[in-house]
Amino acid sequence: MNENISMRDSFINEIYNFAKTDREVMIVSADMGAPALDKFRVELSNQFLNVGIAEENMISVASGLASEGKKPYTMAIMPFTTSRCHEFIKLNQGLMKIPVRVIGIGTGFSYDDSGPTHHTTEDIAIMRAIPNLTIYSPSDSIAAAKISRITYKENKPTYIRLDRKIQPIIYDENETFESGFKELRKGFDICLIATGSMVHEAIKVAKKLEETGKIVGVIDLYRLKPISPEIIKVLSRYKKIVSIEEQILDGGFGSMISELITDNSLQVSLKRIGLKDYVYCYGGRENIQKFCNIDAETITKEVEKL
Amino acid sequence: MDEKRIKELQKRANEIRKEVLEMCILGKTGHVTSSFSCSEILTTLYFGDVLRYNSQMPRWQDRDRFILSKGQASPILYVVLANAGFFPKSWMTSFCSTNAKFGVHLQCDIPGVEFTTGSLGHGLGLGAGVALAAKLNQKNYHTFVLLGDAELYEGSNWEAAMFAGHQRLNNLIAIVDRNGLGVLQPTEDFLKLEPLERKFEAFGWEVRRINGHSVKEILGALENFRGHKRDKPLMIIADTVKGKGIEFIENVALWHGVAPVKQEDIDRSRRELENYSLEEEYE
Repeated sequence: MNENISMRDSFINEIYNFAKTDREVMIVSADMGAPALDKFRVELSNQFLNVGIAEENMISVASGLASEGKKPYTMAIMPFTTSRCHEFIKLNQGLMKIPVRVIGIGTGFSYDDSGPTHHTTEDIAIMRAIPNLTIYSPSDSIAAAKISRITYKENKPTYIRLDRKIQPIIYDENETFESGFKELRKGFDICLIATGSMVHEAIKVAKKLEETGKIVGVIDLYRLKPISPEIIKVLSRYKKIVSIEEQILDGGFGSMISELITDNSLQVSLKRIGLKDYVYCYGGRENIQKFCNIDAETITKEVEKL
Repeated sequence: MDEKRIKELQKRANEIRKEVLEMCILGKTGHVTSSFSCSEILTTLYFGDVLRYNSQMPRWQDRDRFILSKGQASPILYVVLANAGFFPKSWMTSFCSTNAKFGVHLQCDIPGVEFTTGSLGHGLGLGAGVALAAKLNQKNYHTFVLLGDAELYEGSNWEAAMFAGHQRLNNLIAIVDRNGLGVLQPTEDFLKLEPLERKFEAFGWEVRRINGHSVKEILGALENFRGHKRDKPLMIIADTVKGKGIEFIENVALWHGVAPVKQEDIDRSRRELENYSLEEEYE
């Protein structure tokens, strides 16, 4: 791996790699730009379509193309391709199972100072409610590239949530990302579980706790749907689970973990850490996270209380 | 097409209406009036040598794609498809029953149906994608989309219209079933749709306006659509009457989305439809 890049760019670079040899692969963009997209647009111009800032039409046109054998990836800022297009995705991908890969850019507070119009803090809740939709949520650029390739091979209706900030590298190139989750750190009693960029907060928390002699586990759940049944065994090794998300708690990531625990009658407790409301708060993502009590420092204090 | 054939198609459109009526009476539901306004349109497309299809190979690659965006008019498409041999007519008798193959809105797992529709504003964008795929895949099929007029309030139609115009999708033909009624009121009373021709022209479409109950005019609007030199998508605004053929439900908003269930309404519907089909008004 050379210079680290964002998950968005890493994912698109990999699309470029398979789009070069498979001319059915297309990117349908709602006027969404990215450094990695420039190369795609120039070199594979016949496979690139800008439908303008019209996300519903982006989903519709991509679904029409996919029903005729094309392999489109749609790309838009996350709230506009999830909340706004939810019903079209429900019908086209959930009900009719048309294999469009819907990419949302900007998980949680990724578009920090753009404000709450551009934050996406409920996509997990609403998108996981759609049957037949596979959901990926990578946590670094290596995961993003590998998962990009997986979505190509799978050729299924898929939603991919990508952060637009550059995140530290977690994985090495040998990771296959087939299992759906990874126990990044093993611990005693307590396990932190997160997805996407919040995995990095979980790692920070685990490191802080380690300094005080407390060894906690960390799980990266990078495939939110379908959840790997293998995760049950891992969770049941612990006594207390802490879910960490940059999402509204109602129906979100922690709710998903709660369902997993309940449905499998696991004898573990669950503490959900996440958001309760929309916020007008600026000064960068870290500051917003601090304001919302989902920064590593505050989470560490919460976990210490357990 | 000769006059005799056109007259036969006019008659057939009424026979189709009768089957729709009986299907909806049996099912005790179904959008009868929305189906009746587009009977001549569907009859002409499927039985007037317009659409290319093979009922024994519903997914035949070179078929023309027909997308019924106004999915609430599913009864008439189901009747037409059954008549065209896509599936047994016996399926029609179980409409909306416990062992039904299909219900009120259109369902894509029925042979001959391209997409599940009923969510308005859904079909034109899909059609634009399907038409663009034909260009990219160098296929000669045409894509037809039948829209309800009151679904034009959905903004997604205008996103799709702008896209199709810009992409010069001359293999895309949309037809608006302009029956003039929404659920509650005439469209022009609650939110003006007109001037529709100028709107679609401004969005890059070639527009024709016709009497949507005249097979002759429908065929005229579609004349030589395969061999044309048009470089734009084609929009046909077909002026129609909601509930056409049963006078007492024609243009009556309260009859939206329902079938006659009271015996007196059933009898009257059958009688009036029979009388209408004897009028031969297009001779």
